[in-house]
Amino acid sequence: MILLVEDEPEIRRFVRSALEAEGCKVAEAETMGRGLIEAGTRRPDLVILDLGLPDGDGVGFVTDLRNWSTLPVLVLSARNAEEEKIRVLDAGADDYLTKPFSVGELLARVRALLRRGRTGEQDTHQVCFGSATVDLARREVRRGGEAVHLTPIEYRLLTLLIANAGKVLTHRHLLRDVWGASFVDSPHYLRVYVGHLRQKLEDDPTRPRHLLTEIGMGYRFRP
Amino acid sequence: MVISDYSHPNWRSYCLTLGLCGLTAVIASPLRNWLDQANTVMLFNLVVVAAAVYLGRGPAILAAFAGVALFDFFFVPPHFTFAVANLQYLVTFAVMLAVGLVISHLAAGLRQEARDARVRESQLKDLYELARCLAGIDSESALVAAVCRFASRHLHARAALFSMDSSNQLQAASGNDLPTTVVDSALARSALASGRPLVPVDDLSGDPPHAFLPLTPGNGPSGVLVLAFTDRPSRELEHLEAYLTALASLVETALQRLRLVEHSHESSLQASAERLRASILSALSHDVRTPLTALYGLADSLALFQPPLPAPARELAAALRNQALRLSRMVDKLLDIARFQSGRLTLRREWQPVEEVIGASLQFLEPALEGHPVDVRLEPGLPLLELDAVLMERVFGNILENAAKYSPPGSPINIEVTRTDGSLTVKVNDQGPGFPPEPEASRLFDLFQRGETEGARPGMGLGLAICRTILEAHGGTISVSTRPEGGGCVTFSLPLGEPPLVEAEPGLMP
Repeated sequence: MILLVEDEPEIRRFVRSALEAEGCKVAEAETMGRGLIEAGTRRPDLVILDLGLPDGDGVGFVTDLRNWSTLPVLVLSARNAEEEKIRVLDAGADDYLTKPFSVGELLARVRALLRRGRTGEQDTHQVCFGSATVDLARREVRRGGEAVHLTPIEYRLLTLLIANAGKVLTHRHLLRDVWGASFVDSPHYLRVYVGHLRQKLEDDPTRPRHLLTEIGMGYRFRP
Repeated sequence: MVISDYSHPNWRSYCLTLGLCGLTAVIASPLRNWLDQANTVMLFNLVVVAAAVYLGRGPAILAAFAGVALFDFFFVPPHFTFAVANLQYLVTFAVMLAVGLVISHLAAGLRQEARDARVRESQLKDLYELARCLAGIDSESALVAAVCRFASRHLHARAALFSMDSSNQLQAASGNDLPTTVVDSALARSALASGRPLVPVDDLSGDPPHAFLPLTPGNGPSGVLVLAFTDRPSRELEHLEAYLTALASLVETALQRLRLVEHSHESSLQASAERLRASILSALSHDVRTPLTALYGLADSLALFQPPLPAPARELAAALRNQALRLSRMVDKLLDIARFQSGRLTLRREWQPVEEVIGASLQFLEPALEGHPVDVRLEPGLPLLELDAVLMERVFGNILENAAKYSPPGSPINIEVTRTDGSLTVKVNDQGPGFPPEPEASRLFDLFQRGETEGARPGMGLGLAICRTILEAHGGTISVSTRPEGGGCVTFSLPLGEPPLVEAEPGLMP
């Protein structure tokens, strides 16, 4: 079951038909207030939230929701609304789509978030991407069979991204969790270390396939 | 009448003075047996006072001397002769003369002061009238008219107002009372340079004299007020300096006020234009984009329709989707340009490696590149740059989109990043037709300018203008050229700056 919070009926119509074609059940809400009530009563597996709703901003919605639920939230937003996106991601939203978006992109994001929700509890001690393998239990990273040496910070950054696979992690979030709160205003540290990880793990570091940049927001790990 | 009456006592006053003295002598002479000589002296002194008060200093001095002579002739024995029997009378004469002269001096001074005070009062009244009149005017032509009226009524002069234009030439205001040709512009400039009224005294030409009053309102171009006196000898203009200075400062204040009014009117117009722009922007970004999102998504869902549509219908759906996407990109660009042009382009600059921006742009642009392979060559060891990543992505996006649009399908695009002293240079090379030579090449960066040869391709000519705006905001430059081996090349550079230090991890083994 997916809850769609969106005020524009035509957008609701095509999102709903696409999701239903995937075999999902869809509940709709036109306002944030209604959306919160629906989220509480219907217990959906995922919320798709439009940021341009007339009755309030998404940050309040997500903060409220996060008080009692970890269910994934996909945000629909306009271009040029970077600051709003960052705030709602910092508040706990998982991913965003910029309007206009294709049905294919939407379904890919929805699948990724639903998969994460289902496998969240499973214990996966080994993660593979590209030619790299990360053994979380033995704290070992290999690429093409050879051991790769990561510094403690690089390793912590990598595992944080892996643990939130598919989710956009903001610069602030990553800096706070890896370096500590005093580093949140030094994003160049994060950028330099992500660069190191790409050099060590990506096949073409200039065109990463797994450690993705979300311009102006943060990073995302895609397995 | 404003100008003080400086006319000098004429011969009539002197005759009158002599007459008065004679009359006094004739009246007092029969009484000399009853009237003490000291009192007779008093009578003569009274004549001096009267002459000083009513006729001026010269007649009073004449009265003092005449008084002494008549006193000697009629009242000092031996009578009816200037001979003096008792030499003590010489003291009387000396004292009488001295007293007469002092009285004439003091009384004439008082008289002059009273006269001056009256003149000043009347001048002040005129200036006050002018100030009241100028406070009510609402245009420069009304100001000129008021000043001309004042000049002709109170100064017997014709007036002209000039303002200094940007090329330092005097421009006559409309409605001047005085033809521009008769005004000596060199004198006007020197008055403006000195900052004080200039009244050329020794005018040898015999023309009526001109006065040049500099006006420096402070909030606009300076100017000069020229007065051409019609019937006044230039010698007297010296006394007018304070008066003319006051006149100039009144006109100056009025000019300043007029310009402030004009300015506030302009800025309120500007503010309402800004409000209109903001509301159009927000309408575009929400009200236009929402239906576009629906259109794009609905067309896209047609492709996934079950059971599948026949092939021609699917093609139509794909065309619909692509057009919606194009329209949406155009709206994005227009919004970008509108946002940048409103002068509020605020950069969110952070230090970052340029390859990250390039990588993210390529990832974001993958669909728009339409299968053109992109080769990225970076000089090793490039420093961090302080960039607004979101806007730099727009730069790469616009350049790569153009490169993909104008070059043959499937041809490679390559990006070269090199470091030259003090800046980072990025070259984007394609296999397209290239760019026209200068000066047309520079014009491509203007809004809505497109290359001539690409008329058939869709687009609005906003991409390069957006690039230039963003790069210039970063302190960079952009240019286009055609490579000798063929193909277009867009080159831009960004200043390097001093990147912050990234400290090594503590306790890390090298």
